[in-house]
Amino acid sequence: MSVLSLDHVVKRFGDFTAVDDLSFAVPEGGIFGFLGGNGAGKTTSLRMALDIIRPTSGRIEVLGRAPGRENAALVGFLPEERGLYRRMTVLDTVVYFGRLKGMRAGAATKAAQGLIDRFGLGPWSRQAVDKLSKGMSQKVQLATALVNSPRLLILDEPFSGLDPVNQAVLEELVLEMARGGSTVVFSTHVMQHAERLSDRLLLLSRGRKVFEGTQAEAAATLPSRLSLISRADPRGLKGVASATATGPANDGWTAWNVELAPGASAGDLLQACTADGFALRLFETHKPSLHDVFLHLVGADQEIVK
Amino acid sequence: MNRALLIAAREYRQIAATRGFWVMLLMIPLIIAVSQFAGRLVTPKASVAYVLVDASGQYAPAIQHRMELSYQRAVLGDLATYVQKWKVGSASPGAVWASGPRWFSDTEAETFIAQGGLPTALRQIAPHLPADATPFKAAEPRLYIPVGPPTGVPVDQGPDAFGAAIAGPLQGDVMTGEGKRPLTLAVYIPKDFGVSADPARIWSNGRYTGELIDTVRAELTGRLRAQALQASGLSQADFMRIESLAAPVTVATPPPGSGRAQVVVRSLLPLALVYLLLITVMVTGAMMLQGVIEERSNKLMESMLACVRPSELMYGKLLGIGGVGLTTVAFWAACAVGAAFATHGVAADFLKPSLVALNHPWIWGAMAFYFLAGYLVVSMIYLGIGALSDSMQDAQAYLMPVVMIIMLPTVLMMAATAQNPNGVLPHVLSWIPIYTPFAMLARLGSGVSPTEVLGTGAMLIVFLAVELYLLGRLFQVSLLRTGQPLKLGGVIQLIRQREAG
Repeated sequence: MSVLSLDHVVKRFGDFTAVDDLSFAVPEGGIFGFLGGNGAGKTTSLRMALDIIRPTSGRIEVLGRAPGRENAALVGFLPEERGLYRRMTVLDTVVYFGRLKGMRAGAATKAAQGLIDRFGLGPWSRQAVDKLSKGMSQKVQLATALVNSPRLLILDEPFSGLDPVNQAVLEELVLEMARGGSTVVFSTHVMQHAERLSDRLLLLSRGRKVFEGTQAEAAATLPSRLSLISRADPRGLKGVASATATGPANDGWTAWNVELAPGASAGDLLQACTADGFALRLFETHKPSLHDVFLHLVGADQEIVK
Repeated sequence: MNRALLIAAREYRQIAATRGFWVMLLMIPLIIAVSQFAGRLVTPKASVAYVLVDASGQYAPAIQHRMELSYQRAVLGDLATYVQKWKVGSASPGAVWASGPRWFSDTEAETFIAQGGLPTALRQIAPHLPADATPFKAAEPRLYIPVGPPTGVPVDQGPDAFGAAIAGPLQGDVMTGEGKRPLTLAVYIPKDFGVSADPARIWSNGRYTGELIDTVRAELTGRLRAQALQASGLSQADFMRIESLAAPVTVATPPPGSGRAQVVVRSLLPLALVYLLLITVMVTGAMMLQGVIEERSNKLMESMLACVRPSELMYGKLLGIGGVGLTTVAFWAACAVGAAFATHGVAADFLKPSLVALNHPWIWGAMAFYFLAGYLVVSMIYLGIGALSDSMQDAQAYLMPVVMIIMLPTVLMMAATAQNPNGVLPHVLSWIPIYTPFAMLARLGSGVSPTEVLGTGAMLIVFLAVELYLLGRLFQVSLLRTGQPLKLGGVIQLIRQREAG
């Protein structure tokens, strides 16, 4: 069952098409990464899923229902642009959002206090938000998203504005939420975060989907590359699309960069070399990074961070 | 709706936690209390002393008696008002003070004195007073207290010597039966006044003592005329008869709560409500505006809109700000009631003509309706400005013209209503929805027809519904908008576009 699905969704702002015929589904459980450069349509898609804005056309389902505040009790949301009521206390802020999501006062207070303690904010729970550091405020904001123990947690560029230490804390928290059974959907333009966290990925470019699948499937979209050192020329081997000699090694051995044909596997090639007595001193496979995949699928003109 | 209430409660708490709210809440009662207190401190003692030297020995008793009559007439007037207020006229039905306040003639004042004056009257009414009655207090003390010539001032060496000697004491205080008082006036009537051409002479310290001088002049003139008439052969009896003649004049006064002279008093409460409405709505509107702008500038809006609908946010804010407004008005009303009790009904007496004019329950209902409607009309405009502005600087661009458009005609209308509640301006503004609450509130004290109340009320309800709809649209489409403040055309275009809910 998918917790979030978009079906041929289009969103236009005047003449500008922000999301163009977008379809994808987020399965329950695990971590789903939204990847794309600035203006790819990530935030617009997430806002539509939350009913903050409505699609021009197409259909959206969240937890089996149309988007709307009826889902608020089961959804947590951390927007890219974050802010809090400056004069409210930490505890009141988290409780307030819990109440807005339909929690009873007692349950909201208990959950809020638990999160505040867990984030190390206990001593500040009665302090006004404007007395906190930026990092602490970010934690309070995250607590407002988690206070209702959401079944679906939507994080829009969650790592932006965080220092490396807090980024690591947040990564751990995302993994923890997923282990606890929540489905986490997060958008990012930083490939490392997506690579470390995502079970499944959606790549967007200019409002259109360019890829949806697992990281392995993403990597498979690029031809596999190998580094070989052999006595003979590998170009005749089955599955090799091309090979370029990069220079002579010692004693008649030659170094090669090899690109496999689409669908060919490095393992099959190694097995064939062994069976045919094709002498090798080096057989090294190169797994394509998500950054490589992104550049391959989207192009180099998108603003992304490796 | 539950979420709207949560938002309303938060808005209410946030505004109630600001210094501005408490300043607004306490300012009006404090200003009134301080002005009352300061007024008591700076009000000078009105009574002054005067010296009357009558070398002829003929005129002083008449002048003193005339002054006493004036004072007793004032006391009698205050006593009659007091008797009417506490309904104790039955204590002595034949007494001059028993049948209500009016202009009392010399004869009535004489009768009052002859019947024992104030002490006797107070003794008579004391058993009939209710338990909560306040003690009688004359509105004014005896204004002119006669004293003898100060030591060292000769009274038998002619007016020049008297005048030279009295100049010094006229600059200071003298001891009277009621304590030290400034010596304000000295009168010298020469020995052969009326026979020779020597005038009666008056020295003043410059302070206004017109009533005393008029009395001296009138008495001396009267006596001279009487002497002249008697010298021409008129008998003493005829002279007395002629002097006691008074032209029969009856004065028709409008019934309580009507008449042009009463317009300002009758409009007092409604006009005060208009003023309070203006102050409350402008101050709380500005606070609400700050709240919306804080949510926008603090990037809170997206978090909020993930949990609540824009319409719920709007209703919550309106409810919260409405609560603040009602709290303010309730507090001020409680202060007014408290003040009325603290001043033993003086405030209530002052407002009575105004309350008499509002003697139908439907008028009170209409006042509550117009007050609340006015509050909502302006609050929604403020909310709309907040929904369009990223900062207070942005908001100022909208706010200035809006405040001017609301304030200027309203203030002009208030002044016009005090003069003539049924003038053109109050009438016209009554039918322009943003001014309807103000104009109708101001006019309610002067007799507005139920048809007009129903007509303007229906129009106002329709206007509020349209305003609420437009504000709802604005909230839906503009809360996440950023960029330059829109002009009116841009706002209309924004409202017309289809967006989220």
